[in-house]
Amino acid sequence: MSVPQTVGVRPARKRRAFSVARWLRTFGTLIGFLIIVAIFWQQRPTTFMTVTNWLNITQQVSILGVVAFTMTVVMVVGDFDLSVGTMASLVGIIAGTLFQNEQPVAVAVVAGLLAGALGGLINGFLVSYVGISAFVTTLGTMTIFGGLALYISGGTTIFGRVIPEAFGNFGREGLVLGSITIPNLTLLALAVLVLTWFILEQTVFGRRLYAIGGNREASRLAGVRVRFLRLLAFVVSGLGAAAAGLMLASRLASANPKQGDGLMLNAIAAVFLGMTMSEEGEPHVLGTLVGVLILGVLANGLTQLNIDSYIQQILTGGIIILAVTLSSLSRRGQ
Amino acid sequence: MNSLSAVSSGPVYTTMTTAVDPSPGTVLLAVRHASKSYNGVPALTDASLELRAGEVHALMGENGAGKSTLIKLLAGVLAPDRIEVEIQGRPATLHSPQAAYGHGLRFIHQELNIVPQLSVAENVFLGQRYPAWFGTLVRWRTLNRRARDVLAMLGVHHIDPSERMARLSPGDQMLVSIARAFAGDDSDNGSRALVYVMDEPTAALTGHEVDLLFEVINGLKARGSAVLYVSHRMEEIFRISDRITVMRDGRVVGTRHAADTHPGELIRLMTGRTLQQVYPPRQTPVGERMRLTVRNLRSHAVRADAFDLREGEIVGVAGLNGSGRTELLRALVGADRRLSGEILLDGRRVSLTPAMAWRNGVAFVPEERRSQGLVLSRSVADNITLPGLAWLSRGGMLIDRGLERRTSRSLGDTVQLKMIGPDQTVRELSGGNQQKAVFARALTRTTRVLLLLDEPTRGVDVGAKVDLYRLIRELSGQGAAILMVSSDLPELIGMTDRILIMRQGVLVDEVPTAGLTEESLLSLCYGETAHERSTDGGR
Repeated sequence: MSVPQTVGVRPARKRRAFSVARWLRTFGTLIGFLIIVAIFWQQRPTTFMTVTNWLNITQQVSILGVVAFTMTVVMVVGDFDLSVGTMASLVGIIAGTLFQNEQPVAVAVVAGLLAGALGGLINGFLVSYVGISAFVTTLGTMTIFGGLALYISGGTTIFGRVIPEAFGNFGREGLVLGSITIPNLTLLALAVLVLTWFILEQTVFGRRLYAIGGNREASRLAGVRVRFLRLLAFVVSGLGAAAAGLMLASRLASANPKQGDGLMLNAIAAVFLGMTMSEEGEPHVLGTLVGVLILGVLANGLTQLNIDSYIQQILTGGIIILAVTLSSLSRRGQ
Repeated sequence: MNSLSAVSSGPVYTTMTTAVDPSPGTVLLAVRHASKSYNGVPALTDASLELRAGEVHALMGENGAGKSTLIKLLAGVLAPDRIEVEIQGRPATLHSPQAAYGHGLRFIHQELNIVPQLSVAENVFLGQRYPAWFGTLVRWRTLNRRARDVLAMLGVHHIDPSERMARLSPGDQMLVSIARAFAGDDSDNGSRALVYVMDEPTAALTGHEVDLLFEVINGLKARGSAVLYVSHRMEEIFRISDRITVMRDGRVVGTRHAADTHPGELIRLMTGRTLQQVYPPRQTPVGERMRLTVRNLRSHAVRADAFDLREGEIVGVAGLNGSGRTELLRALVGADRRLSGEILLDGRRVSLTPAMAWRNGVAFVPEERRSQGLVLSRSVADNITLPGLAWLSRGGMLIDRGLERRTSRSLGDTVQLKMIGPDQTVRELSGGNQQKAVFARALTRTTRVLLLLDEPTRGVDVGAKVDLYRLIRELSGQGAAILMVSSDLPELIGMTDRILIMRQGVLVDEVPTAGLTEESLLSLCYGETAHERSTDGGR
């Protein structure tokens, strides 16, 4: 009875009319992104707004993108996965070790993806069936995967001739279209983006994931198999982490037991940035894409402005907090 | 519980009686021509109301009838388009909550404004200066003693002021929040409570707690205060109120003396319908075919040895709060783990989980629509189609938005759901329409075997209730068996063919509905014979 009540049809249609707060809430982050782009363009008119640089940016963010897109799936369900970074490192090491044992690329790729799926399965089982919180579970597995990567590799980097040429070249080459070359990694990230978007927005599976994230108990009582689907979401993010680990190893043509660790925080940040763009604050993969691009453009532009990489880190953190704060402030007015 | 004598002889706050005019019948608060509209939609039109000293004045009306708006104008939290207020014959303005407080208006809301971590005494005196040594060290014993005095004035002696609020029952918490409205009178001089406005105070209370609350209200009456009492519950209104004002569509449609009216008249005033039209009569006879057979059902919370439902039959589940009514449905549908139980649907043995239940044509409408029924952040269409996605999609895999929209629009029409469109977020719907959305979901499949309804009309206004009753009848007419939990006894009696009685987690009895009265049904719930109860004064 405390909610203002009106007679007859609620004036929801009226509230649908233009509202600055609503508009800012949905498009604020995107506008922020465009402002950042404009600033860099103005500062570096010759080098920033070029096709080459943008292709470069997409290649730089492709690996983060794959982790972030699949992380979106887990976050749609209302969980999150801290173990993706060390999983990416571990998969790189697994592939590298297989190369050392003269296994072909296909075997390394399949083994890496299987490891990712298995890691996701373990996370999902612990969270969904055993009932441990996603934070504790993935914090634990994050440490385990990181430890495994160090143990298998003996703490050293695998590089040089043991890495097959085809594998190392893949991450540097691309699809040549006349004068431009679209990097393979960009194409791969795009494929993952389309696939995740399709799964989340166009399939029954995705619809149910959103329902679970919105109200787990109501979904269960409406016949959604909540536990199984939560587990599957973790498998998706494990697979994404594995793919990212392989992409990273390919791009660097080497495998270091720590090289993927930093992906996790940036991926979560990208999803959060994307969430600010949705009416109900739900994660969605196109929002995540904007989040990934914001992070990528910031890194690229700030480097071009010769800003110290430590300062870059501080600025990036500040921008994430700013975006989320503005979004939640505009939401509070409702 | 001899509360009235405690109030009248209360020695501590003797000054309190002076400000309230003791002669009953004086007009304490008069509101005239109150009007308010939102975005051009009138919520309240030219409403007038008088509260007299020593009366309990009930305010009734469907959701959206304007009760809340009127109360908010009185509380000074909404700015009126037009209003005239007189308090004890003098014009007054209620432009802010402080002004309302200063004029002696006290508001006790359905959602309690309590701090569960603090003690009862701290809650009673919340927002006021606690007694303290040197202004800093709280004198807990003094505080507790004062709280005990305030509670005693209300005739409440069983609540320990040092107890943590969270450990109190909802009813006792309600009493403490009334005590707080009372306690303010001691500290700020000059502001004396004339009028208590209680907005559905019994919504969370058990029968015994309601009795206690009513004793307190009678105490307030005896002190010469006026109580404006908002409730949907007919029985309570006739028990406690002296006059009843009914609102509809933002207007006051009538004020009656409780002694001169009856529920039928009030329902007609509220809805424009007669009582007979509320519960639609059965059109088709109950079938012969057994749709549900349950044997030896056990969960951690319930035990039911045997019951059956026939084709087209509506069976009620009655019991006191906590008797295991809800848990019976939950165990049946597999929402709670079953320890044992044989469940036959149309003679076929099934092991139900919520997912299996929907697949087998069993629909479950849970008790709490917001926490258990709906995904508030999603659209009406998403919510209606959620259990039916397997067949409301392309091959059970791909979303078919066109089909979803058509389905939810036509089901929405069936349940008379008022929405802008299937894409509207469920959060934006009113309570009654949200409940209809949960209901619509139960209709997504054409072959329906069994509907499990848990408090299907709770918090729904009379108009929407009538729609739901009609729908339940229609479904039973199509051959579905319906098992319906309700704490609304007239509803159970009006709708069901048989009633299962639950006591302390056990299915103890099964009675045909024909010939039951509210009182006889309630005695069955309490486990007393009708004779014992009648000697107990009907309490």
